[in-house]
Amino acid sequence: MPATTASLLAPWQPTPDEPWNLRRVVHLHRRAGFGATWDEIQRDLADCHQAAIERVLKPQPRSDADEFNSLSAIIADAAAGSGDVDRLKAWWLYRLLLGGDALGEKLTLMWHNHFATSYAKVGDVELMRRQNDLFREFARRPFGELLRRTLTDPALLIWLDAASNRKEHPNENLARESMELFALGVGNYSEDDVREAARALTGWSVHNGSSRFRDADHDTGEKTIFGQRGNWTGDDFVKMLFEHPATARRVAFRLCDAFMGETTATTALIEELAGGLREHDLDIGWGVETLLRSEAFFAEENIGNRVLPPIDYVIGALRSLEMNSPPPGTLLLAEVAANLGQNLFEPPNVFGWPGGRSWLTTRTVIGRANFVASLLHGDLHIPTSPFDAAAFAAGKSFTSPEGWAALYGRLLLGREKLPEEFAHHMENPDRLVAALLVSPHAQLA
Amino acid sequence: MHSRLNRRTFLKSTSLIALGATAPALLRQTAHAIEGRGNERILVVIQLSGGNDGINTVVPFNDEGYAKHRPKLKLNADRLIKVSDDVALHPSMKAAAELLDDGRFAVVQGVGYPNPNRSHDVSMAIWQTARFDPEEHKTFGWIGRAADERPAPADGSPHAMLIGTESPPIALRGRRSTTAALAHLGDLRLSAGAAIATVPTGGTRDELLSFASQTTADSRATAQLLEHLNAQGGDASGYPESELSKRLRSVSQLIKAGFSTPVYYAIQSGYDTHAAQSATHSRLLRELSAAMRAFLQDLQAARLSERVLVLCFSEFGRRVSENASLGTDHGTAGPVFVAGEAIHAGLFGETPNLSDLDGDDLKMQFDFRQVYATILDDWLGVASTSILGGTFEPLKLTSSCSRETAVPRPA
Repeated sequence: MPATTASLLAPWQPTPDEPWNLRRVVHLHRRAGFGATWDEIQRDLADCHQAAIERVLKPQPRSDADEFNSLSAIIADAAAGSGDVDRLKAWWLYRLLLGGDALGEKLTLMWHNHFATSYAKVGDVELMRRQNDLFREFARRPFGELLRRTLTDPALLIWLDAASNRKEHPNENLARESMELFALGVGNYSEDDVREAARALTGWSVHNGSSRFRDADHDTGEKTIFGQRGNWTGDDFVKMLFEHPATARRVAFRLCDAFMGETTATTALIEELAGGLREHDLDIGWGVETLLRSEAFFAEENIGNRVLPPIDYVIGALRSLEMNSPPPGTLLLAEVAANLGQNLFEPPNVFGWPGGRSWLTTRTVIGRANFVASLLHGDLHIPTSPFDAAAFAAGKSFTSPEGWAALYGRLLLGREKLPEEFAHHMENPDRLVAALLVSPHAQLA
Repeated sequence: MHSRLNRRTFLKSTSLIALGATAPALLRQTAHAIEGRGNERILVVIQLSGGNDGINTVVPFNDEGYAKHRPKLKLNADRLIKVSDDVALHPSMKAAAELLDDGRFAVVQGVGYPNPNRSHDVSMAIWQTARFDPEEHKTFGWIGRAADERPAPADGSPHAMLIGTESPPIALRGRRSTTAALAHLGDLRLSAGAAIATVPTGGTRDELLSFASQTTADSRATAQLLEHLNAQGGDASGYPESELSKRLRSVSQLIKAGFSTPVYYAIQSGYDTHAAQSATHSRLLRELSAAMRAFLQDLQAARLSERVLVLCFSEFGRRVSENASLGTDHGTAGPVFVAGEAIHAGLFGETPNLSDLDGDDLKMQFDFRQVYATILDDWLGVASTSILGGTFEPLKLTSSCSRETAVPRPA
């Protein structure tokens, strides 16, 4: 991307007005991952911004990566074997809490939301797990590859009734959602396109847990899709989606939706990112990197203008307070996230989670307060392991009320100075931590 | 670890005055306020998500086109519940038929809007906002706009409540009005040791932070109000076992507890029956009918039923012809249900004609905004024109009007 003065995607450079500081370090980690520990914040502050961003984009494998991955696979296998989807949710939370590639998990979550497939209909834990691994593996690859693989993913095919899409009478579900939600967006196709694409997609189905193509069910006749006539197959249709100019905009929208705030995911930014994606073969990795390095991403107005989704809120609290290792009961944590509105593997419908301000309701605000209480009391850990705010601070060499204010204001809010309204909690660090985590400020990032 | 805060002590110590600039109308509440309650009318909306197959819900069984378009999905005429010479309810809607017999259930046939959209998202947004410009689909809903026009509930109750685990729908969003969302009453209880401190951020220019502060303050206020009103579990008998049933029971508990909220909203999902629809559709209609009946019976026993009107809608009906997978694809117009003691029971409009189609779809008879206009003007007492962006001919749905439009069920 050529850096012009008008470019929102030009690489951000610190200036005296917009320095590389605590606020931006915390911002980077919250948006691109699930928050940082105190040591990570200190390390990145001492380093230059390029190095910090580089670590987020391309994390060094953990020293025990092999061990982690094999343990993770064992847990996932056991979950799939048990047929209990709650155990699969617990597995993902385990990865979110302890995995070394936070951005990779965030992108996996983003694609889960984009291709929103629910266990509630699929009913097969192993297929949900395979779809999740697919999202993780292709999370940064060219979108065409991800789309091609996802549209033949068994869980997605079951979710969108592909099995019943046969030439005698096509089922439009997969065709419609491919256009409206996965690739083009509303307004870029006609009802005729939906019907004709459904015919092109006939024959794709699921057999014994694998996707397969059945010639006998495929409609080989001529179809007209996006004004082009031919004996189109499902593969042809996927190619048309990939080549359609609107697809870049849809991918750009999704990235901005995942990484920008409510006032900064602007049409201008989406258009600029879409243009760049078209020049880069819709390479998601390029799009993510460009966005996370950009002027737009580090701009003052893009900080704190996003409601934290439940997973970000929960994992963020655990990570920053270093309560993730040993991890809390992940089954319990999955239940907490579901109660707060983000039930992994069970998005509400094909549109995924509506997100944004809708995350905060009476029910979820009270739910977040209840989560914080049980977290700090140690009730989520087995055995019970309460958080000791004074001891935690002492471990970082903060031992006075002023020190507690400095530590927790920085760690939990990303602010140099504790906002006035929390000053009356300074004498009691446990209460300070609770008040900060439940505060309106901490619901935003 | 600091000793746990006693919740009651906490609530007392952080008195309402501490809410500062973000305090909701709860400030005005006193222990006596609830005694003045009791006559406000209540609307309960049940959203049937996914696009209900209206043809197999309110069945034109005498229409030759029925067997032709529905060779495999057509319902056996012997099992249907006849409502008129031409129309019958799905066999699973026994409870609804009982309400109809009782004069508490009405069907408005063929409800839609011009130039129907087949996207779930877009069509739902149209129904929820009563607006067609996509730009307006992210602003305010028809109920939120109506709530903006009304005085705030006197006791600080929210203007509308979503009962469920879903995000509050855009239908409820207004400029000033407040919405609460909860699945059951327990969702509003702070656990021991949990606290929502109030943070005065009234002076902030950060609009999102103001939103978060206001939501936090409202949540706390609703929790306190629940505590104050001392809502009881009540008697669960009579309610069948289903998610919708539990939600309507929560609505009943909230009404009985004395919340002054005028609108409750519940969502029943699963109507997107592209494949093998018979069993699913049958279950959904049974759950809907039974839950609605249990709810109205419960309110009747509590002498509250004349205050409550139930509206059921779906974002579209389904295609007239079935598909090859024993299901139906997205269609257009469909039936709307209205239930309660204060309504004119029966059928509104003509039976849909399956031989006189618009393309492959049913022709619409009523614009959904006519139904809304009726509810706004006649039930909630809010002038509908500005809310709906136009004047729509009302239907004679409520008993403040003459009965002649409704066709009573033959004996």
